Amino acid sequence: MACARILAIAFLLSTLCASRLGAQTQSDEEVTPVPLLTGSSGFITTFNGGQPDFHPIVTPLVLVPIGQRWLFETRATFETDLAQVPGRNGYHGGPVQKEVEYAQLDFIANSYMTVTVGRFLTPFGIFNERLYPVWIRNLQTDPLILPIGIGPSNASTGAMIRGGFKAHPKFNINYAAYFSALSTVSPVDSDRFAGGRAGIFIPSARLEIGGSFQHGLQDARSNAFGFHALWQPPALPLDIRSEYARSVAGSGYWLEGAYRLTQVPFHQNEFRRTQVVARMQQYFVGANINDALQPVNIKLVEFGLNYYFIDGLKASSNYGRRFSVAGNANVWTMALTYRFLVPLGHAGGE
Amino acid sequence: MGKRYILLCLICATVCLTFSAIAQERANSAGSSGAAAPASAQETPSASALTHTSARSKAAPDASEARALRLEGEKRFRTNCGRCHQPPHKFPPRVMAAAIRHMRVRAMITDEDMRLILRYMTQ
Repeated sequence: MACARILAIAFLLSTLCASRLGAQTQSDEEVTPVPLLTGSSGFITTFNGGQPDFHPIVTPLVLVPIGQRWLFETRATFETDLAQVPGRNGYHGGPVQKEVEYAQLDFIANSYMTVTVGRFLTPFGIFNERLYPVWIRNLQTDPLILPIGIGPSNASTGAMIRGGFKAHPKFNINYAAYFSALSTVSPVDSDRFAGGRAGIFIPSARLEIGGSFQHGLQDARSNAFGFHALWQPPALPLDIRSEYARSVAGSGYWLEGAYRLTQVPFHQNEFRRTQVVARMQQYFVGANINDALQPVNIKLVEFGLNYYFIDGLKASSNYGRRFSVAGNANVWTMALTYRFLVPLGHAGGE
Repeated sequence: MGKRYILLCLICATVCLTFSAIAQERANSAGSSGAAAPASAQETPSASALTHTSARSKAAPDASEARALRLEGEKRFRTNCGRCHQPPHKFPPRVMAAAIRHMRVRAMITDEDMRLILRYMTQ
């Protein structure tokens, strides 16, 4: 309780300081933003050890800018699994799972700080917050360490301060500090914890590195920490991303490289839309068993191929080989994903 | 023990943030007064010019400055947006204004980057 009080006081003080600074550095966007309905949809087919899984998913995201400094954003997921029903031909959909992934109110206090309250994606590592949507991710399978540090439903319920600013002409700093309260209401459950993430982005090298920390405020009061890195070599159409995470429930890493074939000198119209991906990941079981994590040590190697038809429409396929004491298996995935965007008002003239 | 760690982290973060904010405010005010040192190699004159819109907000930028701003905006767009996803095509101005506000929160891009990208994407 005392800890929560300390955090609340620190939060209020930070917000007050931020508002004072904000008086001088208020954002002066000249264009009035319009509310948006955006998001993604996809049809993902997975063969995991020979077991087929057909998985349609729609993830709408609503953005409602309010005035110059506020933004309400919420994202939901509607998904189901198509399965074979005994006595019937073909595949049939089960119940549609509906979930509000996050619903948060952002207050842009100044150039350095944004205050967020509500239910928000836990900023632990980079995948959950920035790479999770199906139209963004290079490989459709989740990293094995994704559940570490993000809470029982990938989100937190509470408050957060965050921001990014130019700390030096050569690099930017970004940070997030948050507190999450316990919620047992499914599917919007969350754990009680506090944590933060900080990163440095060097624009000239197109390199971002950072770390995350989280302290549990319930049960075993355990800690979790992690590191992340993103690098896009300026001379190559190559994305390199990596994460490491460790907690009492388990630890592991993933390292992914994605190369866009824009440098192939022939059939440029086709190759510039094509991307090859490779990812290596390893997971190690910890002392405490967590249902969201794998029960055995796993090593997984994946290779993928993405083709971008138009902006937002992507076909992807990948093959992976999973090595574990529970048995080795092949994982095949094919997906078609689409990012949509609909302005909920006058969009502004061309 | 855990409370002390959290409190210590918060204090450190607040101190760092305050120092950085003060430093940036000083740089901004120095730039606005016109007596600032030349911009560094990384911070182009065009970026500085956009940051200090108050000083010349109503003055129409000349063609070369507009071109420099557009090029800088394109560079920031590719550098920032491309970190996580394929940079999208241009959207109408009000759509882009909402999207860039979302990305400012989500991807924690800086205020200066946001302005340059918004300018590039809407002009």
